[in-house]
Amino acid sequence: MDRYSRQARVAGIGEEGMRRIRGSRVLIVGCGALGTHAADTLTRAGVGALDLVDRDIIEWSNLQRQVLFDERDAEGGAPKAVAAVERLRKVNRDVELTAHVADCSRAFLDDQAELPDLVLDGTDNFPTRYLLNDWCRQRRIPWIYAGAVGTEGASMVVRPDGACLRCLWPEAPAQAEVGSCETHGVLGPTIAAVTAFQAAEAIKLLVGETGTTGVFTCDVWRGRYQVLPLADQPSPDCVGCVEGLHPALAQRPVEAVTLCGRDAVQIQPDDSAPPDLAELAAHLHGTVEDLEQTPHVLRFRVEEVRFTLFPGGRALLFGLSDPLRARALYDRWLR
Amino acid sequence: MIYLDHAATSYPKPDVVLDAVTKWFRYVGVSPDRGDGPRTRSCAETVQRARRAIADRTGHRADRVAFCSGATEGLNLALRALATPGSHVLTTYYEHSSVVRPLTAMTVARDLRVTRSRSTEDMCRRLAEGEGDLVVMTHASNVTGALLDADSVAAAARARGVPMILDASQTAGYVPLKCGAAVVVASAHKALHAPPGLGFVSVSEDVELAPQKFGGTGSSAALERHPSTWPQAFEAGTPNTPAVYGLAAAFEWIEAQGERALLNAARAPMQHLIQELQGMPDVRLFHGGESHDLPVLSFTHQRFDPAEIGAILAGEEIHCRGGFHCAPWVHDLLGTTAGGTLRVSTGPATTTSDIDQLVAVLRAL
Repeated sequence: MDRYSRQARVAGIGEEGMRRIRGSRVLIVGCGALGTHAADTLTRAGVGALDLVDRDIIEWSNLQRQVLFDERDAEGGAPKAVAAVERLRKVNRDVELTAHVADCSRAFLDDQAELPDLVLDGTDNFPTRYLLNDWCRQRRIPWIYAGAVGTEGASMVVRPDGACLRCLWPEAPAQAEVGSCETHGVLGPTIAAVTAFQAAEAIKLLVGETGTTGVFTCDVWRGRYQVLPLADQPSPDCVGCVEGLHPALAQRPVEAVTLCGRDAVQIQPDDSAPPDLAELAAHLHGTVEDLEQTPHVLRFRVEEVRFTLFPGGRALLFGLSDPLRARALYDRWLR
Repeated sequence: MIYLDHAATSYPKPDVVLDAVTKWFRYVGVSPDRGDGPRTRSCAETVQRARRAIADRTGHRADRVAFCSGATEGLNLALRALATPGSHVLTTYYEHSSVVRPLTAMTVARDLRVTRSRSTEDMCRRLAEGEGDLVVMTHASNVTGALLDADSVAAAARARGVPMILDASQTAGYVPLKCGAAVVVASAHKALHAPPGLGFVSVSEDVELAPQKFGGTGSSAALERHPSTWPQAFEAGTPNTPAVYGLAAAFEWIEAQGERALLNAARAPMQHLIQELQGMPDVRLFHGGESHDLPVLSFTHQRFDPAEIGAILAGEEIHCRGGFHCAPWVHDLLGTTAGGTLRVSTGPATTTSDIDQLVAVLRAL
């Protein structure tokens, strides 16, 4: 019996839709909660090729919602992309799976030998989302935004000719404004709800449907699920859609360098507005340990890693030497 | 910007040095020993003037001074020639990576035995007791500024016929180099106040080096064989003549100012900083502490990592350095292997007000 028979029987897919799904290449950026849910669905759905990119390693606090990982992965601190691909290979051997343990930078995206047909957002930070937005717009590739914090989530299809993320929010919001899973927690079903929308839209786009117009939002605690209406056309003020500018592509990338002879990594920020130390301190209060603000720095500790943030956005992370891991922690805690 | 990293490289360079470099680019443009004519001859004279100034300081013959790309190349050249297979090399804990790394690379390949000393007294004792086939030592620590007693070590080495390589990178331009070392190596861009990309190897007549690179020398151009005459044998390739012009001018400038006066000018603000740091309970100071020591000091802070302080100071446009300062061994002595130190090094142009601004930031940490 064909493994895809039930899917092919769905109205709107059929044999032709299945053929398109089998011939597609999808890039999933971020292999955390959102990324693992979406990757699991798309691997089972039988996409042709799936590229997973993530720079981080698996921790115990991930297991509550990141479906492709188990306790052994957390004990070994395995790279997320590698562990996810190993699991997915057992799910569907037909899919060409590739793990990229890397920072999803512009250079990484530009280096892809084959352009994806679709990009899925599984990131935990807005700078990367704006990079995806601008890169996908420039290359006219559809992508699907997704985000989840606490019991609330959101997702949106960004088509090459429709409204983009910048049409909604011209600039990336600060992490302190929107909250994060570290400060607000996250409920497993929030992820399931958001990725249900995201993965369904992904399959629709792959078979040639236009996808839903509007922003899906949900609050699984209050039991609210809705699609907020959104203009089908780009905003007349959008620098990307109207002026053809892609600011995130011109940005100097964040640089992480292991300090010579040290168990420490220095991060040089990109050109985005530096964080407000006082605001960030208030945001982190109660979540991190040894929080301290002096006239010159903001310092705190999360488990074995000590963070020092300087006013211009430069940061030092002590207690680790892997620049990729430091980048992940920087984006998670300091942006 | 407040510049307090003179141990790395001096800044700003004297105007006369900038003028000399510019002069070469605008009005000279040729290399010495390449071609004939008044311009080439005048160029060769300037280069010769710089060579003589070095020889005056090292006590060697001017024709046994070879220019190279920097102290690193000079030290590699001297060590490759003199650390023969099976040698026992005496050195100090204060060495820069440009000594540590060639020695480490050659230790296995040439079966070297390397003994590090904490003091020059220990080196002298070892030499007197018949230890060592080669001495290589820095003239001063680039981390604490401590000036080492190269004269005594050189005398003890000479008494046994053991060649000695002196790394004078921190001291050339501040301190006399005529200690009796068989080989003196230095970079031009630190206290000599010349441009980077230039250094020298100065060698006494009783020691011979072997060229480590072969190529065009301007002289004996028709021959296939690399010449063996000093200094051409060690200067293959187009020389960094504009930097040598800068160095020649720098020597005249140093002569006019007075070497000792320049050192004192750099030490005065350092003395002020030492007093301030001694009043800070969280600070642990590492400095030679003698009046003849170099204007370089290091410190650690109880609550802040050197990398943090370095970054805070950078944010205030005060340029110093946190870390290990390319001197991997000295941190074993100082007990600073975890994170190194914050290093401050002053120059003749450093002012008390520069130090006050640094101190203000340190007080507000």
